[in-house]
Amino acid sequence: MFTDEVLDGVEIQSVWRKRNQLATETRDSQTRAVHYEESGVQTRGSTTAQSSQTEEAAHHPHQQVDFLGGHQEALQGLKDFLHGVEDMVLRALAANAKSHAFDGFHVNWEEHSHMVSCVHRMHHPSAQEKALHVTCVSWNSTGSVIACAYGRMDDGDWTSEKSYVCTWNLDRGGVNAERADLVIDVHSAVTALCFHPTLPNVITGGLYSGEVVVWDTSRTQDPLVAQTGMSAQSHREPVYQVVWVPCRGSRDLGVLSGSSGGRVLLWKLESDQRRLLLSEGYAFVREQVPHSSYAHTKAHGSAMVGVTSLAVSPWHSDTFVVGSEGGLLLKCSFSSQTPAAVPRCDHQEDVAGSVTLRAPAVFCFRATNHSPVHSIHWSPFHRNLFLSTGTDGLVHLHSVLQANPLLSVRVSDSSYVFQVRWSPTRPLVFAAATGQGAVQVFDLGRRSIRPVASMDVGGVGGVATCLAFNHRAPGLLALGSTHGHLHVWTLSAELTEQQPNEMLRLEQLAAEVAE
Amino acid sequence: MTADLQYSHPLDLHPFLLATDEHEEERSCQEDRQQAVVIMAEVEETLKRIQTHKGVIGTIVVNAEGIPIRTTLDNSTTVQYAGLLHQLTMKARSTVRDIDPQNDLTFLRIRSKKHEIMVAPDKEFLLIIIQNPNE
Repeated sequence: MFTDEVLDGVEIQSVWRKRNQLATETRDSQTRAVHYEESGVQTRGSTTAQSSQTEEAAHHPHQQVDFLGGHQEALQGLKDFLHGVEDMVLRALAANAKSHAFDGFHVNWEEHSHMVSCVHRMHHPSAQEKALHVTCVSWNSTGSVIACAYGRMDDGDWTSEKSYVCTWNLDRGGVNAERADLVIDVHSAVTALCFHPTLPNVITGGLYSGEVVVWDTSRTQDPLVAQTGMSAQSHREPVYQVVWVPCRGSRDLGVLSGSSGGRVLLWKLESDQRRLLLSEGYAFVREQVPHSSYAHTKAHGSAMVGVTSLAVSPWHSDTFVVGSEGGLLLKCSFSSQTPAAVPRCDHQEDVAGSVTLRAPAVFCFRATNHSPVHSIHWSPFHRNLFLSTGTDGLVHLHSVLQANPLLSVRVSDSSYVFQVRWSPTRPLVFAAATGQGAVQVFDLGRRSIRPVASMDVGGVGGVATCLAFNHRAPGLLALGSTHGHLHVWTLSAELTEQQPNEMLRLEQLAAEVAE
Repeated sequence: MTADLQYSHPLDLHPFLLATDEHEEERSCQEDRQQAVVIMAEVEETLKRIQTHKGVIGTIVVNAEGIPIRTTLDNSTTVQYAGLLHQLTMKARSTVRDIDPQNDLTFLRIRSKKHEIMVAPDKEFLLIIIQNPNE
């Protein structure tokens, strides 16, 4: 009867959903790939440096030590500052130029002495016994030691007399006038002497026999340090001048010696061998000397021009002036390369280390008379001026640029003038040692050329042979006489202190053209 | 539906690197330089007026630390003058102010045998003139 029956369900599909879904579709869309490029940007130039530099650099009278850090504010500050002070400064400058407020106003800072007086008078008894003359004096580099050399001024022959070099220390109290602090025995007369410019105990001397010797005064045993041997190339005639000069290429100084044999030789010190080695040599042969008016003199005897004095320029290390026996004044140069036409004597071996002699003469000043030039001194204040003196009693002021002397000062009436030296402190003052026994000091700034001071060496017939100013203590002047005495004088303050217009007057003198 | 796309340049993020701003900066630097040139010319003119006055040997301008910034003398002399006079001016100024605190140093003149040195002081600078009154 009853049986299970399974009936299918009845499905009715919903109508509303279908209706809405009918309208939908899925679609894809894709945009095209975006096109892009890279490009970099950079600022042109670094403009943040801000260095303010003026465009016209060539016409700058002012050196630019610093650019003020480049900040414009600082520059503006400088401009404002200068603007503010300019008026005040210009007014002060103008008033100063016209003012006479300080005319003749001098301040006394130190004790001024107005006297020229002799403070020491020294001699060496054994030299005096032999009647030797003081031939040259020299102060050492510290200014406390004075050395004098004994010899003869009037001998013309070879002499084998022994002589002395004596030194006194003036700054140690108690100078003994009879006893020198150090006496060096020398086997021949000494004709030239020069202390080392920086080492206070080294002296060099030139002997009558033609040797050049170096002593060291601090060695008590034997002061002799080095000497030249008698070689074919050393001097054979008396050495009249020795000077310490800087050697080129080394810091040591060499000795330049000039002798009447016509040679000027430069020696270097080799202390281990106790010898002075010849480093350079110059010879003066008559034919090679540039003459200006010398062609008429007959050349007797040797063809060499004997050198009696020489002076190295302190301004220009290449130039030196040489005075000869015949009155020639020659300007020479160390670097000249012309070989000298030295007559080769027989028996002259070519020793190893011999030096070719060169002819250094460049220019000849007009000779005023044909007698030996005793002394030349270069001015320490002007690069072109030097003094020269000979036997005619005149001191000539020369300029290196002209052949004629600028000025001639009559120092003594008819006697020889043995030495002339400029003062180390006053540009216009010089001192001359005359044959009449007095040292005269002249001041070129004065209108009348008469001696400002005159120092007598005393004694009858004494001749003042040499003088030297002390560079450290400018008031001291040492002079030697033929009596064998060494005098030390102090100069007055007016002779040692520079006046305001002296350099100007010196420049004017140097610029004059000699007629 | 519309898609909004903006074309964007990657460097848009950094606007000040663009070319237009660059030119502006350069222009202002050039103006500065021109102005500096003008000021410098005036400074030089003033110093030249002082330097060419009768008798003047040298002129030095020193900054507040004592370092010379303008000079007509050689280097070693300048350094010497600048150092010594800077110290002396400071000492002179302190002397004047110690005596009277309301007072101050306006000018310093040192007369020597050979010439006269004049110093015009300021907060930042020092002007030193060396004159030879005898000429």
